[in-house]
Amino acid sequence: MKHRESFVELDARERARAVLDEGTFREILGPFDRMESPHLEPQGIVPQSDDGVVVARGKIGGVFAVVISIEGKFQGGGIGEVAGAKIAGALELALKDNENGVSTRPVLLFDTGGVRLQEANYGLLSIAEIQAAIVALRRHVPVVGVIPGKIGSFGGMSITAGLLSALIMTREGRLGLNGPEVIEQEAGIEEFDSADRQLIWNTIGGAQRVATGFADELAADDVTAIAEAIRAVFARGVRETPRSAQVELYRSLLKAVDPAQPLHTEIFREIWQQRQGAGKKASGKAAEPDRGNAPPSRGRTWFQMLTVGCEPIAGDVPSVRCADATLGGERVRYIAVVPDPDSRFPRARQGEVGLEEGWAIAEYIRQAMEADQAGERRAIAAIVDVPSQAYGYREELLGIHLACAAAVDAYATARELGHPVITLVVGHAISGAFLSHGMQANRILALDDEGVHVHVMSKQSAARITRRSVAELEEATKKVPAMAYDIRSFATLGALHELIGGVNADTPGDEDRALVQDKIAEAIKSTRFAPRDLHVRLSSEAASRGGRTASIQVRRMLAEQWR
Amino acid sequence: METFTFEFPATKRLQGRAHVGVVGSGDLEILLEPSTEPRTRVVIRTGCTGFQEKWRLVLERFLTANDVAADIQVNDFGATPGVVTLRLAQALEVSQGR
Repeated sequence: MKHRESFVELDARERARAVLDEGTFREILGPFDRMESPHLEPQGIVPQSDDGVVVARGKIGGVFAVVISIEGKFQGGGIGEVAGAKIAGALELALKDNENGVSTRPVLLFDTGGVRLQEANYGLLSIAEIQAAIVALRRHVPVVGVIPGKIGSFGGMSITAGLLSALIMTREGRLGLNGPEVIEQEAGIEEFDSADRQLIWNTIGGAQRVATGFADELAADDVTAIAEAIRAVFARGVRETPRSAQVELYRSLLKAVDPAQPLHTEIFREIWQQRQGAGKKASGKAAEPDRGNAPPSRGRTWFQMLTVGCEPIAGDVPSVRCADATLGGERVRYIAVVPDPDSRFPRARQGEVGLEEGWAIAEYIRQAMEADQAGERRAIAAIVDVPSQAYGYREELLGIHLACAAAVDAYATARELGHPVITLVVGHAISGAFLSHGMQANRILALDDEGVHVHVMSKQSAARITRRSVAELEEATKKVPAMAYDIRSFATLGALHELIGGVNADTPGDEDRALVQDKIAEAIKSTRFAPRDLHVRLSSEAASRGGRTASIQVRRMLAEQWR
Repeated sequence: METFTFEFPATKRLQGRAHVGVVGSGDLEILLEPSTEPRTRVVIRTGCTGFQEKWRLVLERFLTANDVAADIQVNDFGATPGVVTLRLAQALEVSQGR
């Protein structure tokens, strides 16, 4: 019998070496380049010389490849500025190669809890850039992911995993947007018991994910098995419709589930099997677009202001509002996520981006993409006031990470096709919710207002997880603006197109509306004939003045060492 | 977090460089590079404060047994003296291409 060699037990560097053709491994931006995180030492945390990400060039099946491998043992595989820039930068170089006819096969080896909380918004920005690169790259070549374990892939990086052409998992791998502990903390032990290991594995473990269509292959924890599974994906070629673009299938799946009833993990396997066989046409009754009993929200207020007199587009998810308007000769499709106290999914009633919201956003955007195929592509404007993603057991079981990926995929694809995508942040823009709804825009606008926040986690939760008091956390934000919550700190990172001052954010009047409309119109105009990627976030004045120094340097050094 | 530097006399040149370990719980990362000067300089960053003397003893013992002129960077996440010594030996081995 052939001797098995564990893949899970290898460190990030050995994993990268193991999936490349023998003798071809060449690390770029390695430990001796000492490109470590500049943000950890000021917070009293010892950095690592490669910031926990290994980027290796080499060959797979005789074709050029780049393998990106995350070290789960360093800071839980958390994505900070340098780690994130290494991943995004490597994918961007692979994209450039493939566009220039040099076939380069990209592989991501996940072992990450998501954004590194100590670098907060740097992680968020990087993950948006990673996702943009994957959506662009996927058309040229399969982008293959492996979740071997032991950590798995969580947070924003679970959304990233949802975007891939193919996903290989072992039984030890786990894939979910919110980790079990975070769900228990945010939603209570009756929602999800993070000590119940069997439940966790049956919900987000590799075997369940493969059985319910969220991953493609369950591989043995064996170096050869995983390397062969990767080669097989490349041999099959580009996937016609990636999982995150299969809106009808997954919407029909959600409709087949009754969230008021208990949902056992085994039952869900059966529902999935039936759905796959059934016609993919979504059934279920259309809901009222707005039931009139919803609490006020900035998102709703601004959506109504900007679409006054426009017929809302009918849909069956009341928390996602959509309408077409005209603005300075441009057609604009506005999309907002608003609270719905009667949502079928109780964990998504406060305006969170949940399962239905992610897929509904994707559908509205894809409708516009299809309708505009032959003519001028309309602008798409995301009105952002999202307190968080939805935290819940059903959310994880039914693949909220993929619902978020569907929204990311739709926004990014629309942007690539030439729809000007504009984001207007009017309230909270938090974490996975902001990644899904807003972060893929060509241009991000925000109201300069104290109630406008950008962050990856509530202060209380972030303090608990990084083992600090809220006061200590606030002290740390003074050293690292990326950890601050206010929009002015976020603006220093260079990703904002404009901070709009002098506007009443809570109760806007006609003048406020006129001003914001002017800004949106200007932002739309600025995207026509401009590059369609997100590079503007790194070339902006604030970014080059110090907001993204490490992100820029990492990309430059990667490019120098690429060949 | 604490940072400190030690220097020890050394005579033999190191052949290559080596990188071993991870800044993960109970472990450490070592970057070992040849030095042209007749000494070994060790720069240590550690999350566990108050063990400077222990570090000096561990390093002194290792470098007395292994005479190499090198620059050593240590990024530590609470490794015990035993783990430190093992990682140093591993780094030396890797640098010799073994």
